[in-house]
Amino acid sequence: MATLTIPKTQSVYTHEELVDEKIIKWYFAAALTFLTTSMLAGLLVSLQLIRHNPFAGIELFSPGRWRMVHTNAVAYGFLANGFLGCLHWAIPRLTLQPVLDRRLSWFIFAAWQAVVGATAAGILLGEAQGLEWGETPVWVDPVAQLGLMLVALNFGTPIARMKGPMYVTLWYFMAAFIWTPLTYAMGNFIPEYFVSGTSAGAVGGLFIHDLVGLFVTPLGWGLMYYFVPILIKKPIWSHGLSLVGFWGLAFFYPLQGIHHFLYTPIPMFLQYGAVVSTIAVELVVTTVIINFFGSIWGNWSIVRTNLPVRYFYTGMVFYFLTCLQCSFQVTLTFQKIIHFSDWVVGHAHMVMFGVFSMWIMGMMIYLFPRLLKREWASQSLLEWHFWLSTVGLAVMAGDLILLGLFQGWSWAALEPWDASTEFSVPFWAIRAIAGLAMFGGLIALITNIFKTLKAASANA
Amino acid sequence: MNRSGAWTITIVFGVIILIPSLLGFAMKFGELITLTKNVSDSGGFAITPVVNYLLASLGFFCLLMWAALNGMFRDLEQPKYNMLENERELDRNV
Ligand code: HEM
Ligand SMILES: [Fe+2]
Repeated sequence: MATLTIPKTQSVYTHEELVDEKIIKWYFAAALTFLTTSMLAGLLVSLQLIRHNPFAGIELFSPGRWRMVHTNAVAYGFLANGFLGCLHWAIPRLTLQPVLDRRLSWFIFAAWQAVVGATAAGILLGEAQGLEWGETPVWVDPVAQLGLMLVALNFGTPIARMKGPMYVTLWYFMAAFIWTPLTYAMGNFIPEYFVSGTSAGAVGGLFIHDLVGLFVTPLGWGLMYYFVPILIKKPIWSHGLSLVGFWGLAFFYPLQGIHHFLYTPIPMFLQYGAVVSTIAVELVVTTVIINFFGSIWGNWSIVRTNLPVRYFYTGMVFYFLTCLQCSFQVTLTFQKIIHFSDWVVGHAHMVMFGVFSMWIMGMMIYLFPRLLKREWASQSLLEWHFWLSTVGLAVMAGDLILLGLFQGWSWAALEPWDASTEFSVPFWAIRAIAGLAMFGGLIALITNIFKTLKAASANA
Repeated sequence: MNRSGAWTITIVFGVIILIPSLLGFAMKFGELITLTKNVSDSGGFAITPVVNYLLASLGFFCLLMWAALNGMFRDLEQPKYNMLENERELDRNV
């Protein structure tokens, strides 16, 4: 690799002309606001489960509604806002082209916050749509759909204008911009207006599955392929292998939605198809993991010294664990025990918090000092944030996964339902405590941001 | 790891992934054809998502072919060096 001739692809733009730093700060502020809301909602629901709901009997605080606020605020308010902020950094710098229009960026920002806010308000007032992960009230759906299409236009333009072979990150982003609006339309409009019964169930399964795999996953991995090489100052181990991962996702992922609905009236034929292609995707996932561990091999000390890299690789370890879990979950044998149990809730937190939130946190911790032109005010608060989040999540996920097995075995033994809710209470108490730790981590981060801001303005 | 090593790994993984999945796919597709022939409800039901999938994949297949014909994969490892070089350029004045 000694003689490298790098063709000069010099940018005609400077960083300031390419990147709208202000909007990134606003996206991060919005993301953290919704994460706070979501975690408080999660804590409220976890208190209900251990029968200590402080707001029992108040309709507006009904745990059923706050559970939907919890999941919607985290997906559309935290993950989407966090990703959009990072994309405003990564896409112009990768393509060396600015976004289509900065005013459009701000319009999208405002519209998206209105969408998430209206969703939360609508759910709390009892207007939720009866679709899992599509609880966004029906009158918000068209606005959200339009917003997603504008995002694709605003970010798709610089990618389309770019010349020469594309880096793997841009493949992932381009696909995500096509997939996300399509997935959203499929999940929110088809079962509501066009099909019903088992067919609607199958579409719903595909929707929740694609939301994770065709929106969150490509953006998450795309950003990792961008930020990891920059931080470890080494290119990705094999770009060719990374493209295998991308095309593997494109071809194998869309057929698997029904793996969420094994043992339902959906024809067994389709259920087996979903199982087979899920196992194919596990192999694809392994290539991605190997690539990232190949990149950092021999350089492990950086995980100790560089906090964003530590977040990224911790997320990847959790990613590997969740995918390993998937390959068991997807078998009919396992489904018999774990379906409807807390195993699934443990799995959901491990992937959404352990992987994607960890990555977003890592990117924020790298980007905030650059955006604020100032080092972090407190290293120890950063460490508290990392360890409270990681240990809290590990305890929560382990606790719920174990509990799921106990619940499944209890139901399989035909013990009365009440017995399972009875022995679950201590496990649910541990989850509430673990959740408090994770929330404490978030508070440490937010305190640190305010401290840094204050130091910055004092110096300005 | 040199380039040929990376290539070997890529090809080995490509084969490990492609052979079982293509076999599984061909088998299941055969089953689908027999199923739809006995004009049962479940045959008709099954064909919707599968045809959906094939159409979506056809789009991706065209994209893959277009990318290959336009030299996107000619110098497979080059983009990763360009990316880091661009970053250095952009951060020169920071
Ligand atoms: C303070 C921390 C948190 C607590 C106490 C908490 C608690 C809960 C509770 C009680 C549920 C309902 C489980 C049930 O129905 O039995 C839930 C569901 C869920 N939470 Fe959290 N949560 C927290 C943080 C998060 C974060 C940060 C994320 C994502 C980044 C997340 C993602 C989810 C998801 C995806 C579900 C749905 C699981 C399913 O339907 O299977 N949670 N959470
Ligand atoms: Fe899935």
